Amino acid sequence: MRFLYSLTPSLLLLAAGAAQAASSWGFADATVSVNSKKGAGTGSKEKFSVKAPLSQPVVLGTTDSLKILLTAQEDGKDKRPHQAFVVLQEPTTGLEAPFPLTVKESGKATVEIKQSELPVQLAASTAPLKASIVLASFGSSEGLNTPIFDVEIKTDPTASPVVYEKPLRYGKQEEIHHIFRDDPKSPPKVISLAFVLAVVATVPALFVGWLALGANVSHLSKALSDAPLAHGVFFGSIIAMEGVFFMYYVSWNLFQTLPVAGIVGTATFLSGAKALGEVQSRRLAGER
Amino acid sequence: MRSLLSVLVFLFIAVVQAVSSSGDRLLVILEDDAEKAGYSKFLGDLESRGFEITYETPKSESLSLFHLGERSYDHVLLLPTKSKGLGPNLTPNILLDFINANGNILLTLSSSTPAPTSIVSLLLELDIHLPPDRQGLVVDHFNYDTSSASETHDVLLLPSPGPLRPGLKDFFSPVSEDGNLLAFPHGMGQTLGQGALLSPILRAPATAYSYNPKEQSEVVDDLFAAGQQLSLVSTMQARNSARFTVVGSAEMLSDQWFDAKVKKLGEKSAVKTLNRAFAKQVSGWTFKEIGVLRVNWVEHHLNEEGMSNASNPKIYRIKNDVKYSISLSEYSWDKYIPFEVPESDALQLEFSMLSPFHRLQLTPQISSSDSTYSVAFTLPDQHGIFNFKVNYKRPFFSNIEEKHTVSVRHFAHDEWPRSFVISGAWPWMAGIGATVTGWLAFCAIWLYSAPSAAKKNQ
Repeated sequence: MRFLYSLTPSLLLLAAGAAQAASSWGFADATVSVNSKKGAGTGSKEKFSVKAPLSQPVVLGTTDSLKILLTAQEDGKDKRPHQAFVVLQEPTTGLEAPFPLTVKESGKATVEIKQSELPVQLAASTAPLKASIVLASFGSSEGLNTPIFDVEIKTDPTASPVVYEKPLRYGKQEEIHHIFRDDPKSPPKVISLAFVLAVVATVPALFVGWLALGANVSHLSKALSDAPLAHGVFFGSIIAMEGVFFMYYVSWNLFQTLPVAGIVGTATFLSGAKALGEVQSRRLAGER
Repeated sequence: MRSLLSVLVFLFIAVVQAVSSSGDRLLVILEDDAEKAGYSKFLGDLESRGFEITYETPKSESLSLFHLGERSYDHVLLLPTKSKGLGPNLTPNILLDFINANGNILLTLSSSTPAPTSIVSLLLELDIHLPPDRQGLVVDHFNYDTSSASETHDVLLLPSPGPLRPGLKDFFSPVSEDGNLLAFPHGMGQTLGQGALLSPILRAPATAYSYNPKEQSEVVDDLFAAGQQLSLVSTMQARNSARFTVVGSAEMLSDQWFDAKVKKLGEKSAVKTLNRAFAKQVSGWTFKEIGVLRVNWVEHHLNEEGMSNASNPKIYRIKNDVKYSISLSEYSWDKYIPFEVPESDALQLEFSMLSPFHRLQLTPQISSSDSTYSVAFTLPDQHGIFNFKVNYKRPFFSNIEEKHTVSVRHFAHDEWPRSFVISGAWPWMAGIGATVTGWLAFCAIWLYSAPSAAKKNQ
């Protein structure tokens, strides 16, 4: 009772099929032809059968259409099956596209497949497509599913190629590793050292030049005896200021540096009046 | 008294949690209360797994999926109904709202009754397509049950589906001992759109096709779909991880096909169907008893010697070495178990500002009670606001999108290498030294130099 609804439409076939138990589906008078759109046609019309599938692939151009004609048979008798498909399969992905044949009551079946009608995944295929024929129907007759030929898709080299964009699928993605910028580079150490030497050499050169011009420190003892504290503190504070700068470079921050620099600077200022006064007195005495 | 009450409440919560990860209130919609009997085993299995089942017909006036804006049920099972629509309480909009409110729906179709318009519109919304005229029957003249459908070929026999793609966990393949088969009787196939949220569980064999038994009984003039393109059991997992499953054949879940004996074309002996185990897996997945992921904790810290390695700091410096760990669990029927990433799949961490700078594979450390995934890496040399992002979306697993924001700052002025270790700076440092020496010597000479002999002679 439960199956009655689906049984009714196929009652006719049932009655026919029940008679022969181990019958099977097949086809005869099968031909395949490739027709170009311009009507001229490549003229290729080849016969094939279940036992003799075509060994050479059928070449399908951009504007061509593939036409398959055959007569479906059940146990050698012409008959209309319910399922009559030409299935094109992309061999690398296994993707299939069925094309139903238009079947007449007599079993004569035909289908025309244009290249533009192919799904984009098949049209973009580089490997030849595998074409097979599926003929089957209700009842006990055994269905037929047999490969018949390969189809080679020829694309127009001047036209823009068919591009298949894969739809988004969730999955793991390519790893990304950040490319770091290069570290700053220094010139070769030899060059740096050569320039260091050149720079350091200016100091003795300066001293030699000064000595050649007659520079000396002969008044040191006189100055120290006239104003020992002022001169000691003044010159000492100038050296100390350089020391403050050195400490700032090595470890101190600005807030440690500024008070010390202030103290040293005040000492310079206060002792400077006296020490520079002594220098002036020597100048006024004509000793400079 | 109060403590007793709290213990009771606790027990109640414990019982609720033992069912599904998202609640136990299941609404079953069917044409007639009497139809329950046909699915008694399936519904009994659901009840024994702890679901509280409410039965309603679409015509019932008390039927409402929402009460005061909250879901009244956690899951809905729709069995085939004869009416053309599903009434004002089950419009496509309400069903979509139910999915948006994190409710799960298991929808069953049948070739014997046209799908209600409400269902067709709902499926269209989700990019699942039914055959035209809301009616279709899947037949396969090569894989049918010879004992029950030797003429009509509409009881498909299929092996366990196996994983959808490599790298996905196989939730829907019941263990079969002796080549057991799934029976798919009198079903309606669907085709799926391109969306990433849709995934088929069970696809039709290559020779199957769908036709309209009313109009195409003689000849298939307009083919709806055939072969692998025809999905027999399909799923949609929304972005909020709400689940929606379409089972093309309601009879697949009926008592008659649970443990029925079937005989495939060309086989000699009859085998038992796997439908009961398959129904458990499909309903268990749909009602969130399996494949639900949970993030237990996320931790990241500095991975450098001699520096503080406090957990989850707000700020890092560029080029810091950092370690990130995430702990995940998977719900399996009644408890959370450590989550293992399927083979040839990977859990990945993205360290991103607008676009990912790093996308790295997390390596697992799995013990019996916990599974932790971690990776150690160096932060990019770019400052800004970055995210540690784990975006694990896979078919059949609930979505994980874990985002933790941190600042990445520049080097501070005292973190750079000192100038004396940079050989290129040496001439300049020598220059400063020469200047200082020269200045001190100049001061000394200016202060203490006696007039030279040449000047005296002037």
